[in-house]
Amino acid sequence: MDTSSPAAFVNGALLRRYIGQKVRAVIQVIRSDVGSVIGKSTDDQQIVVKGSPQPPLTTYLEVIGIAETDNTIRAEVWTNFGDSFDVQNYNELCKLANGEFRHLFI
Amino acid sequence: MQTSVTPDAISTVLSNPSFDSSSDRSEIVVQVVDLKPIGNRYTFSANDGKTKVKAMFTASLTPEIISGKIQNLGLIRLIDFTVNDISSKSTKYFLVTKCEAVGSVLDSEINLDSKSGEEEAREPKKQKLEHSPVSPLNDVVSTGITLKPKQEFVAKSASQIMSEQRGNAAPAARMAMTRRVHPLVSLNPYQGNWTIKVRVTNKGVMRNYKNARGEGCVFNVELTDEEGTQIQATMFNDAARKFFDRFQLGKVYYISRGSLKLANKQFKTVQNDYEMTLNENSEVEEASSEEMFIPETKFNFVPIEELGLYVNQKELIDLIGVVQSVSPTMSIRRRTDNEMIPKRDITLADESRKTVVVSLWNDLATGIGQELLDMADQSPVIAIKSLKVGDFQGVSLSTISRSNVVINPESPEAKKLKSWFDSEGKEISMSSIGSGMSPSAKNGSRSLYTDRVLLSHITSNPSLFEEKPVFFSTRAYISFIKPDQTMWYQACKTCNKKVTEALDSGYWCEGCQRKYEECSLRYIMAVKVTDSSGETWISSFNDEAEKILGCSADELNKLKSEEGEVNEYQTKLKEATWSSHVFRVSVTQNEYNGEKRQRVTVKGVAPLDFAAETRLLLQDISNKNKTSQ
Repeated sequence: MDTSSPAAFVNGALLRRYIGQKVRAVIQVIRSDVGSVIGKSTDDQQIVVKGSPQPPLTTYLEVIGIAETDNTIRAEVWTNFGDSFDVQNYNELCKLANGEFRHLFI
Repeated sequence: MQTSVTPDAISTVLSNPSFDSSSDRSEIVVQVVDLKPIGNRYTFSANDGKTKVKAMFTASLTPEIISGKIQNLGLIRLIDFTVNDISSKSTKYFLVTKCEAVGSVLDSEINLDSKSGEEEAREPKKQKLEHSPVSPLNDVVSTGITLKPKQEFVAKSASQIMSEQRGNAAPAARMAMTRRVHPLVSLNPYQGNWTIKVRVTNKGVMRNYKNARGEGCVFNVELTDEEGTQIQATMFNDAARKFFDRFQLGKVYYISRGSLKLANKQFKTVQNDYEMTLNENSEVEEASSEEMFIPETKFNFVPIEELGLYVNQKELIDLIGVVQSVSPTMSIRRRTDNEMIPKRDITLADESRKTVVVSLWNDLATGIGQELLDMADQSPVIAIKSLKVGDFQGVSLSTISRSNVVINPESPEAKKLKSWFDSEGKEISMSSIGSGMSPSAKNGSRSLYTDRVLLSHITSNPSLFEEKPVFFSTRAYISFIKPDQTMWYQACKTCNKKVTEALDSGYWCEGCQRKYEECSLRYIMAVKVTDSSGETWISSFNDEAEKILGCSADELNKLKSEEGEVNEYQTKLKEATWSSHVFRVSVTQNEYNGEKRQRVTVKGVAPLDFAAETRLLLQDISNKNKTSQ
């Protein structure tokens, strides 16, 4: 397993902790522009994901990439997560993975 | 007005045992002294001024004493009585069955024998006379007895007299002195004499039964004492007939001479390890005109979250919750007799963040239900005693005839709940306890997300299931289905019971008592399940096994009989293994060849809802953190 560049689970609030580092987030697509996707993080914040994903996009997307600012990610990997996804659970996972159980995550 | 005793009455009676002239009897007037209660009756000494003899009023006269008609130091005319021997001693006593109070109550015991006694009797009278102009006419009677009428005649009950005599003693102490009243909680089967003072808090109807030993009738009452302890008392046949009218709902009684036995846990409706049986010799006496007590209702609250455990059980539960909503009344037609019954649904929530619907029936719907509707916007806390837990809409609660609803009770639980609701409860959204249950799964599969346990919890606690079946939910993988087991039986297409092949053709159903041309196969299958903590065998019946295997027993049988390169039957079983499900199981213990065995039966099975499972895990994590902090 490649652990050289781990991607931290983030929601909107946690993004700013990882500026310049690799993150992963699940977003709900609001709008798709040229060269970026506007989405909503699991904690209801607006996030701009730069890059050009392959359409079609489902309602939920997982993106892995570099956190550029506290609300932008330059995405390298785009994965469709389907149209039904439990954002609360994911959001709790983000909090646990960056908080109390951080030692379990790389 | 009679003011004197009949002189030498007692010695006359005692010396003439066959004394039975009714005309003579009417002349017998004695003074009651040393009046005191024994059990539910009173004893006294009959005094004729010279002789005293022990005497007893029959229980039928007790009300006369309680009401104050017969008082200590008062005079009574004996109308009907018998003279009995006290077998252990050579003395006699009077058993008075009928008498009437005559004259007024005297200040002291009449004593004709001793002069000094007479003097003593005169002394207080003289003193009294100095400052009270009471007519002296009655004072000196031709016999020379000095009697002193009571100056202010006030009818007093025995308990009043008692309370005067005892002064300011606490009421409980007073009561204990009149009768040794035992608290219900102290009763046990190995104890001889006791008297209890209880209120009838529920009265059943007289039921007739017929069994191998003949027929009879039975009824029972629920009794509650001052401390709120309850016990059920049952009466059969003669005792039932004797006491049925005597016991009235809401009244207080002294009861003695009943017997206790261990309560049948299966049928018990009140919280008591024992139940009481009253026979015709038991004594039941209404405690009228005495200080009444209202028994406190004792509650054993079950959190809404845990209601799943009680679904369709005989056990009744108590609930406390915040009223979320109250419906208008509805009329429901009862199936058995077509009668229209009012019903009202209320929704309650508690700290487990779950809501549940409680159906109030009959008077509770129209009475307290209306009251609740009027105050629903204030979110009152209500406590309900004795609710039945059913499976309508997952979990539903119903009042029964003896259910008791208390609005805004003054209890710590109620305060805690109210403050929780005010601080956070009203802000959060809550889900119904019934909604978390798989709609596809029926019997037993009601709360797949409550009472969740690991398999090791079931397998490591053999003693847990001795009394009655226990239900759990568990998430586990199917790890093995033995291909060479008898996995199904030939069942009647109408009633699902086992059929036997008829001699000529077709199948005979014992249940329907008829022959059918066809039958269907139904599963009864043993499956091994595994989770992170262990594994166990579970047995699964048709509906659940169909869900596990994904095909009916008839289809699977067809696959089994097909010959070929690839055995489709084996494949089907393999496909079913290593898939995970949420199981609702009942765990029972039975004895087989002298060995205790645990039997786990699937009552419901549902596919995993990953989001819901994740929520459950997150909840576990946060609960663990809370307890470890």
